[in-house]
Amino acid sequence: MLRILHDTNYDFIRWWKVMAAITVAFIVIGLGSIVVKKPNWSIEFTGGTLLQLEFAQPPDVGQIRSTLDQAGIRSAEIQQFGSNREFTVRAQDPATVASQSQGAEGVAVTIERVLKQKFGENSLKVMRTEGVGPRVGDELKRGAIIAILLSFLITLVYLSIRFEWRFATAAVIATSHDVFTTIAFLKLMHLEISLTVVAGLLTVLGYSLNDTIIIFDRVRENLRKGRKETLYETLNRSINETLPRSVLTHATVFAATLSLLIFAGEVIRPFAWVMAFGVVTGTFSSIYVAAPVLLWIERKWPRKTAARQSSSTATPTSRTRPSPATATR
Amino acid sequence: MNLKYRIAIILALILASFWTLFPRTVVERVKRNGEFVYDTVRRVPLKRGLDLQGGMHLELEVDESKGLVPDKSKAIDNALKVVRNRIDEFGVSEPVVQKAGNDRIIVELPGIDDPVRAKDVVQKSAYLEFQITDKTQALEKALPRLDAVLKDAKIAVAAASPAAAKDTANPGLQSLFTADTSKKPDSSKTDSAKAAAGTVGGPGAFSKLVQQGGMPGEYYVAQSDVALVTQYLAMPQVVAALPPAKVIRWSSDTVSLGNRVYRPLYVLDAKPIITGEYLTDARPNTSPTEGNLVQFTMNNEGARRFRTETSRHIKDYMAIVLDQRVMGRPPIIQSAIGANGQITMGGKDLQAAQDLALVLRAGSLPVPLKVADWRVIGASLGQDSIHKSITAGVIAVALVVIIMLGYYRFSGALAVAALVLYILYTLAALAGFQAVLTLPGLAGFVLSIGIAVDANVLIFERIREELNHGKTVRTAIDEGFRHAMSAIVDSNVSTALTAAVLYQYGTGPVRGFAVTLLAGIAASMITSIFVVRTFYMIWLNRSRDAQTSLSI
Repeated sequence: MLRILHDTNYDFIRWWKVMAAITVAFIVIGLGSIVVKKPNWSIEFTGGTLLQLEFAQPPDVGQIRSTLDQAGIRSAEIQQFGSNREFTVRAQDPATVASQSQGAEGVAVTIERVLKQKFGENSLKVMRTEGVGPRVGDELKRGAIIAILLSFLITLVYLSIRFEWRFATAAVIATSHDVFTTIAFLKLMHLEISLTVVAGLLTVLGYSLNDTIIIFDRVRENLRKGRKETLYETLNRSINETLPRSVLTHATVFAATLSLLIFAGEVIRPFAWVMAFGVVTGTFSSIYVAAPVLLWIERKWPRKTAARQSSSTATPTSRTRPSPATATR
Repeated sequence: MNLKYRIAIILALILASFWTLFPRTVVERVKRNGEFVYDTVRRVPLKRGLDLQGGMHLELEVDESKGLVPDKSKAIDNALKVVRNRIDEFGVSEPVVQKAGNDRIIVELPGIDDPVRAKDVVQKSAYLEFQITDKTQALEKALPRLDAVLKDAKIAVAAASPAAAKDTANPGLQSLFTADTSKKPDSSKTDSAKAAAGTVGGPGAFSKLVQQGGMPGEYYVAQSDVALVTQYLAMPQVVAALPPAKVIRWSSDTVSLGNRVYRPLYVLDAKPIITGEYLTDARPNTSPTEGNLVQFTMNNEGARRFRTETSRHIKDYMAIVLDQRVMGRPPIIQSAIGANGQITMGGKDLQAAQDLALVLRAGSLPVPLKVADWRVIGASLGQDSIHKSITAGVIAVALVVIIMLGYYRFSGALAVAALVLYILYTLAALAGFQAVLTLPGLAGFVLSIGIAVDANVLIFERIREELNHGKTVRTAIDEGFRHAMSAIVDSNVSTALTAAVLYQYGTGPVRGFAVTLLAGIAASMITSIFVVRTFYMIWLNRSRDAQTSLSI
């Protein structure tokens, strides 16, 4: 029998302060950089025009840019897309978007025409064009936010029924943590935030929640056994007991993610990046966010029947963690 | 449950999956030698989204730039029927035309290779009117008024449009008042006209731009002045000064006289004698004398009205106005016209005649539409995406198989067998629910292969724990499944709930992703719990000696 991390007894939660500092720093840097430079929204969200072009010869990007500038298409983002002959051109500055309100196709036609004039009729092929009016983008943003909030609410209700509100709240807080770290990751990697990436984000949330539930399920079971130990110890025990499962599952999911990242092509790559990061942040938050938050809630609102409210010294205090539980009470 | 029933259920599911996924013969619109025809094709019944097969996605909304539309939802409902008719006529395999929200129409045209033409066909209003050209010289009578209005507006115009000022400095035409109306415009006089030309909005600002044409109500405007005249005609003061009960329409064609190009302008009776609503058929045709044209037929009521109206207008000229453009030169009405007529296309090609016939047959759009959102994906790109996704999927499966076999050995092999069934069941579920496979959906499917074994990992780890506690193999397996159940159910149900939210709030590709996720969750619950359990039961039954040790 091949065994990894069998019968371990690590004190995971002891390190929660260090981990909290790391993740808070990561989130602050990531979200802080949004102030400096805005996130790389796809045209689905900002409105705008996208062309995916395949050139016969590797073109000079500077030439593409100057050609577009001359045609009055300002600050278009030109990005290599796979090989050095493939590029995407994204025109999404407000003036260009505004000119699309009278039919979204005009800008794309212009871009194709001027580039063909410059590089020759047969030197490039348009593989894909997309045009999104300004109104659609706002609706999508709102839709994405509603989807995330609604999935939180549903999760909260479901887990409150299946576990109890303390577990549900801790799980939802751990998952919200993943929203922030993933957004920070997207920002720091300058990944294009498209609808597919939002779907990826929601998958990450589901995956992270899974992971938390697996650990909490073990906690629930261990609590029923009525051992003479603190919740702190129960949590550590549960994390250790589920460790082999965590390693195996994360390995298979990471394998699938990696093959997407490498083989599935340019369109899917941002999604694969999000998922790859999601495996990391999901695992992290299950251990270092969900568990400490549960401990903290347990201390603030102790369970009547339980004699284990005397948590250890490492229990998070209300001073270092803001009180999200009050919001959901 | 009895082992026999378990095996029967699994086999039945396998059979059902194969039956669902088996390539079947369907009647479809396909392209044969450049023409779309109905034909039978054999294909695996998995629908590919536009991003995988290439094609065009359009979202249309009401264009309110020319006036507000009070009840958009109703207007869209009406427009939807027309757009659907046109798309059906256009000939695409499996098009989608549907209402989205309250005020939008989604059109999906798989495999379309001429997006510009498709957009034209969808968007053209195709409002057909038959109007008699003005014979009361209403414009001539209104000209002094128009000139005066423009003179008053002089400063405003000059300030608003310096570019237009440049145009007026070179009117290139004699004034209407000095021209001999029976004579064709004469280029030799143009120079003097140019010399006499005043400044913007000066005396005779309007009248010097238009030239009497060859029939009542017809006027010529030099092509270079068209923009300026259009601008004048849009000014509210000018609109107020135009002759009442008349409309002014541009021709769709230009005419060359001498070496100059003119665009005819027509003054028409505002009330059309008949509109295109009575049209029953329209066919493209080519005539040796008139070039490409569209022949149309009206229904009985239309024919009756047309006959009555035309008999009252013998020797008048009748303009055929499509979307506020006069098509061709208005013909003279020789005698009463009945059910049939034709529209000449000028210099346009047969394709244009075909498209016009198509939109006329399908009816006119009740409201103007504009493209709010569109995507065109080349077919080769879609094919490329499929290949790449399959490669990624195969490698993901290989890696997962290596991990599972390497770690769990015999039990891992059972999980791998279950994974094969998982893939089969998921694809069958997608085909059965007629879900559309999109690129994000495929990515989600590949990802789900990694996630699908999670339930088995949970179960196997539990069995290991039970074995460690010294339980017998049979008990350990029973206990392992029992204890792992709550974690599996809770984690899968919460994921399914998230997927349902995604489905509800997502659009297009994201929806496809959510469907794949949901199908995957259901299939993985069945295979990892039910199927693997059955495998263990078979194994326990067959080798009674092997029960003392389990390779896990």
